[in-house]
Amino acid sequence: MGPHLQFDHVTKRFGEVQVVETPFDLAIARHEFVVFLGPSGCGKTTLMRMVGGLDLPTTGEIRLDGAPVGKPDHRRGMVFQSYSSFPWLTVAQNVAFGLRYRSDLTEQEKAVRAERYLDLVGLYEFSDHYPNQVSGGMRQRIAIARTLAAGSDVLLMDEPFGALDALRREQLQTELRRIQRRDAKTIVFVTHDVEEALFLADRVVVFSKRPTRIVAEIDVKSRLGEERTLEMRDGEDFFALRREAIGTVRAAAGGEL
Amino acid sequence: MAVEGRAIDGPAAGAPAAPDAGSRRPSAAPWLFRLRAPLPRYVGPAFAVGTSFAILGLWEFTARLGLTTPMFFPAPSAIFLAMVRMFAEQHLLWHAWISTLRVWEAFLLAAVMAVPIGMLMSGYRAVGAALEPAVDFIRYLPVPALVPLSIIWFGVGEETKIFLLWLGTFFQLVLLVADDMRRVPQEYVEIAYTVGANQGQVLKDVAFRAMLPGLVDNLRITLGWCWTYLIIAEIVAADSGLGFVIWAARRYMKTPEVMAGVVLIGFIGLATDQLLRLIHRRAFRYLA
Repeated sequence: MGPHLQFDHVTKRFGEVQVVETPFDLAIARHEFVVFLGPSGCGKTTLMRMVGGLDLPTTGEIRLDGAPVGKPDHRRGMVFQSYSSFPWLTVAQNVAFGLRYRSDLTEQEKAVRAERYLDLVGLYEFSDHYPNQVSGGMRQRIAIARTLAAGSDVLLMDEPFGALDALRREQLQTELRRIQRRDAKTIVFVTHDVEEALFLADRVVVFSKRPTRIVAEIDVKSRLGEERTLEMRDGEDFFALRREAIGTVRAAAGGEL
Repeated sequence: MAVEGRAIDGPAAGAPAAPDAGSRRPSAAPWLFRLRAPLPRYVGPAFAVGTSFAILGLWEFTARLGLTTPMFFPAPSAIFLAMVRMFAEQHLLWHAWISTLRVWEAFLLAAVMAVPIGMLMSGYRAVGAALEPAVDFIRYLPVPALVPLSIIWFGVGEETKIFLLWLGTFFQLVLLVADDMRRVPQEYVEIAYTVGANQGQVLKDVAFRAMLPGLVDNLRITLGWCWTYLIIAEIVAADSGLGFVIWAARRYMKTPEVMAGVVLIGFIGLATDQLLRLIHRRAFRYLA
């Protein structure tokens, strides 16, 4: 079986600005959790957005299951850092929004499905609240539940936990990893937080600052296994891995941290 | 630190009557003198009503003392009596109704046209580029300058009034709507795309919904401008409406009646504004 997602010689230019200059190649396996780690402005977000169909590669191709990706659709769900849910919809309506434009499901099927994911992310009792009435962490869970309900098998997450406090972050990271393993999702997750990257990823792709280039790949899965728990974060293995990774990222940033 | 603690306690302790609390603690009303301090409940409305009546009282007092010429600057009581008489004898209510109707007709026409056009202008750069020069040009034309043209085109009937009001609001509103639309976070649009929405659905279900609170605010403000243009239109060419009433009263130097007309417009404006604010608060509870 070929890779789920494949970047094939992808470059990207916005007008005069060459965001991804060197042709970019990367293959992501089905159900793999890949984290793009790198300094801000290195092009990692742009690469992820191109998977979603929100930006188009200038040259090269991104393939999903072997076919070039086209316009955005429900198979590739996005979770943003801010404005990740609609303030005028209740929590339940936000989750159901993921199914709103599906014509292959009946209204009842949609309702059942939305409810299931609402429950999965622990928001069932907040169904009728508006996003402004719940915490930032819950708002990000709304977004995750929406993409899951939509039936996305690729989740694209752009620093989704960036605005949360440390405790909520840890909690959501653990939950996300659990959901990813349970529902067998392929995830591309963008962050500049080394610890977050290592805790979540099967594989961390470390980017240099522009011109965009992969400077290292860290095979976290073979070092830490697939199960991630809060206790692991205090363990020797994680600590050692973290120190290594920080060294790599420092080198990648070229002293500009 | 202790001072700050008390400052925070003050408003939370309910709404103590200011003079009473003031006699016990010198700084019992920290909301009065602290920059941007929140007001205890009911204090804001109390100040609003109190000040309004104080101004009226001062005015009445000045007029009664004979410091103003009643012919030019009548007392509030005289204006009030004139208004009561006008309601009874001069169909003031009917005139007010006619004016209100004209305002809403033109305003709704402007809004119904401005909302989609404004959204398209900021949604599609080409539409924006094509329309912006014309809109900006017309927007800067003072409405009174177009009164003669409007009379040539539409005569002195209802059409002229609606046209002038529409002219004064539509072109302003289009740009305000375009701005509201521009402020819709790109994330909202992209979320909709990634769950399979098409462009029409994005505009209708997401962009319009996201900009609605700002839009309603802008409509509320633009509605106020309509009254300005209405009076101009009714003064120039009308035999009904508040502008006509005011202008007719002026001809006979009935200053209290002139002012009664003006005051009535103020009241209608105040009531409309409060009503729209209430609707805004109710409809957009999720913003709280």
